[in-house]
Amino acid sequence: MDEKVGKFWDKYLTKKVSRIHKKEEILFSDINKTLKLFYHLLGGDKGKELHITDKRSIKTSRTLLEKISGNGETFFLPWQDEKGLYLPASLGYFPLKTHNEMHYYWLVALLTQVNIKGSNREAENQKGVRVLIKKYAGFREFYTYAHQYLLNHYPELSTIESSLEGSSAGNYPNPLWIYPSLSSANKLLDSDDEEEVQRQNDEQRKSETLQMKKKSEQIDDKKETDGLLMFLPESIMSLMEQVKVDRQENDSYDEDALYNAEDLDEITLGQKDANLSARLKMDLDISANSIEEYPLGKGHFIDEWDYKKEVYLKNYVCIKPFISIHTEPIALPKRLEKMMRRIQSELDLMELDRIKRDNLPYGDEINIDTWIDYKGHQNRSNHPQRFFETYERKMRDMSTLILADVSLSTEAGITQEIRVIDMIKDSLMVFSESLYRLQDRFAIYTFSSIKNTKVNFHIIKNFKEKYNDDIRGRIDAIKPGYYTRLGAGIRESAKILEKQQSANKLLLILSDGKPNDVDRYDGRYGIEDTKKAIEEVKKKGITPFCITIDIEAKEYLPYLFGRNSYALIRDAKKLPKVLPEIYMNLTK
Amino acid sequence: MSKTYYLPQSNEVELFKAAEGMNLPILIKGPTGCGKTRFIEAMGEMLGREIYTVVCHDDLSAADLVGRHLIDENGTYWQDGPLTKAVRNGGICYLDEIIEARKDTTVVLHSLADYRRVLPIDRTGEVIEAHPDFMLVVSYNPGYQNVLKGMKPSTKQRFISLSFDYPKADVEKKVLMQESGIDEKIAQKLVDIAGEIRRLGDCDIQEAVSTRLLIYAGKLITKGFDPYQACIHSIVESLSDEEDVLEVLEKLISLHFTKSLNV
Ligand SMILES: Nc1ncnc2c1ncn2[C@@H]1O[C@H](COP(=O)(O)OP(=O)(O)OP(=O)(O)O)[C@@H](O)[C@H]1O
Ligand SMILES: [Mg+2]
Repeated sequence: MDEKVGKFWDKYLTKKVSRIHKKEEILFSDINKTLKLFYHLLGGDKGKELHITDKRSIKTSRTLLEKISGNGETFFLPWQDEKGLYLPASLGYFPLKTHNEMHYYWLVALLTQVNIKGSNREAENQKGVRVLIKKYAGFREFYTYAHQYLLNHYPELSTIESSLEGSSAGNYPNPLWIYPSLSSANKLLDSDDEEEVQRQNDEQRKSETLQMKKKSEQIDDKKETDGLLMFLPESIMSLMEQVKVDRQENDSYDEDALYNAEDLDEITLGQKDANLSARLKMDLDISANSIEEYPLGKGHFIDEWDYKKEVYLKNYVCIKPFISIHTEPIALPKRLEKMMRRIQSELDLMELDRIKRDNLPYGDEINIDTWIDYKGHQNRSNHPQRFFETYERKMRDMSTLILADVSLSTEAGITQEIRVIDMIKDSLMVFSESLYRLQDRFAIYTFSSIKNTKVNFHIIKNFKEKYNDDIRGRIDAIKPGYYTRLGAGIRESAKILEKQQSANKLLLILSDGKPNDVDRYDGRYGIEDTKKAIEEVKKKGITPFCITIDIEAKEYLPYLFGRNSYALIRDAKKLPKVLPEIYMNLTK
Repeated sequence: MSKTYYLPQSNEVELFKAAEGMNLPILIKGPTGCGKTRFIEAMGEMLGREIYTVVCHDDLSAADLVGRHLIDENGTYWQDGPLTKAVRNGGICYLDEIIEARKDTTVVLHSLADYRRVLPIDRTGEVIEAHPDFMLVVSYNPGYQNVLKGMKPSTKQRFISLSFDYPKADVEKKVLMQESGIDEKIAQKLVDIAGEIRRLGDCDIQEAVSTRLLIYAGKLITKGFDPYQACIHSIVESLSDEEDVLEVLEKLISLHFTKSLNV
């Protein structure tokens, strides 16, 4: 009985004290994308990500009621560090949704203005507030309202008044202000005000709120682990146990492969498939129906650029070509049909592009210009007498190789159900379909690496092959690989493109745009090698173009590819639609 | 003073004069709506020369530039194209969006664009020496849509290059006030908005907001439109079709021009 009453009281008190407007509350997760864009608009650092903040404890002089209910000592306060912005998971101080939403925009805007370091937080915040309300009428309106509302409805915050005037800050944090970095909060907040940050006590809450943070760190975590075997797909692990061969040392595939594996573009797989599967079955004794990645020969070597020594490391990187076999031929997935119909209407527009060819000895129509020309010519026997003209569909004379990065980072989730890799697959399907309908020549390769000794280079479709259900099957079978030795992937693709006869050659790189591998191929080294590879590509008369999905800082992209040679796609979900559009724009 | 209003971005007027003095052709690069055409018009007036403008496209033939035979009751006669007219009579031949023209069309420029300064006309067998006042100016927008097109290096390297961008804030503000008749306060807001949108750079929007669009917004405001509405219709809607981008741009405008401000 007593217990029941106690609980009731507890509930009553919590409700009474926290005047958060639950129904009008705005969730960070609902608007974080627009907030990020907004942050960029206001000149925020493009390398920073937006996250949900952990809560922190602040010793406060609570009202009696709050003291009883034990409420009011922890707060979710906005802050930033070099890596990102940290905002409350939800905001609901105000009775109108628009104001709660505006509160988020306000905080993001203020974060572009202030640099809070310990004791300067009052001065900095006041300065930031002044700048914002002077420049933006909309913020002026919001701030005037919000400030007054908070004073009226949260008396315990009344100190915000005095702090605005410049006297010492009160114990209660001002929801309209930015606070020092949480990681160094103890040192930075006045020591009287601050209690130990009780991280351990808040495990459960933390796991909720930190979900976002973790997701983005995931990529880095994996990089730190060195045990490569961990990443081998399970199927291969069990396979290795079964056949008890170490592929590395005891390569069971013949060198005298059925084809010269260096000439990836020469392989026509349809005919060889039966043969392949027979061999594979023999070699590995696996079921003939499971998708298997079949190596095409032992691999070959290419150079890499060492920027420190300023030399090419000759034959330093081993390219290992693979092809997936036993893939199921599939039709264009239903989910993509609607999008394909929309793209088709854009394609139709392109096909209308016809071009006039004149000065022909025969053709559809007489070219009046030439005819009159002839009439006015002094010596008619000297005139070439090519009077005809024809309208032809524009021959686009294009070869496009699309190189997709399928490294681990592409496995990072957009939402739980959709991974970047799935978006890449969908994009490749839609893209292939578009180019097929345009009758443009194209090839698709994917790559991922583990150190210089193993750059897996997968053929999805070479220039010779026809686009059909088998190709789609191979796209569908794409799995995320390891790391991104971007320079190697680019060089190998350039070798293939170079051999094409078209007047225009386009190398479309689909990647998160970050060169990295487990060895020194990370940071500067990887960037410089990639840049070098891009320069080589251009020298070969190939136009490189990189389409990147915005995950991290991309300041170096113009440095890598040149100012007009890349596109950033913030939302990977848009990739399938945007990719063909970019292609059409490029080749219009 | 010339009639056409042009406020220099930096030293482009001096460069133009110098190139003109040395008989060198000029290549102007820059995004859409940043003042390229306006600049040429002003220069033409300053030098007292006629401007022959050709907007290039991929169906443009050499005959469209050089000229062709026509018929009248007396038989056929030759009609000079815009390029030939400028070459004969002196004047500025301005080829806009040169990159859109096929490469076999632009080769007729080669002999004109170097020390020879002659235009051979195959159809009549004539070789015209350029008038001392002839000047060739070409322009294009080096955005990503054009990376594949490029210009032949052999064509490009015959020109003095001027690289244009959107004017700096103070210049752009004056241009806005002059061209659309808005007051300084509104002009400042529009320039602020543009500065912010241009920060988005190459992601999310296809082209950054141009001076031309800002002028449109200014004109709508002068006509009595609510500034917020004017910006939505002239700036926001023309930059993107993506929902979330539109939403943020709209937010940005509403922060600068709130409803209550417009009474
Ligand atoms: N420096 C300037 N001085 C005066 N007016 C300017 C200036 N810059 C831009 N403008 C204004 O901007 C408008 C657009 O400029 P203009 O038409 O010259 O653009 P453009 O660079 O030729 O664009 P496009 O590549 O689309 O043809 C002009 O009508 C003019 O009002
Ligand atoms: Mg123009």
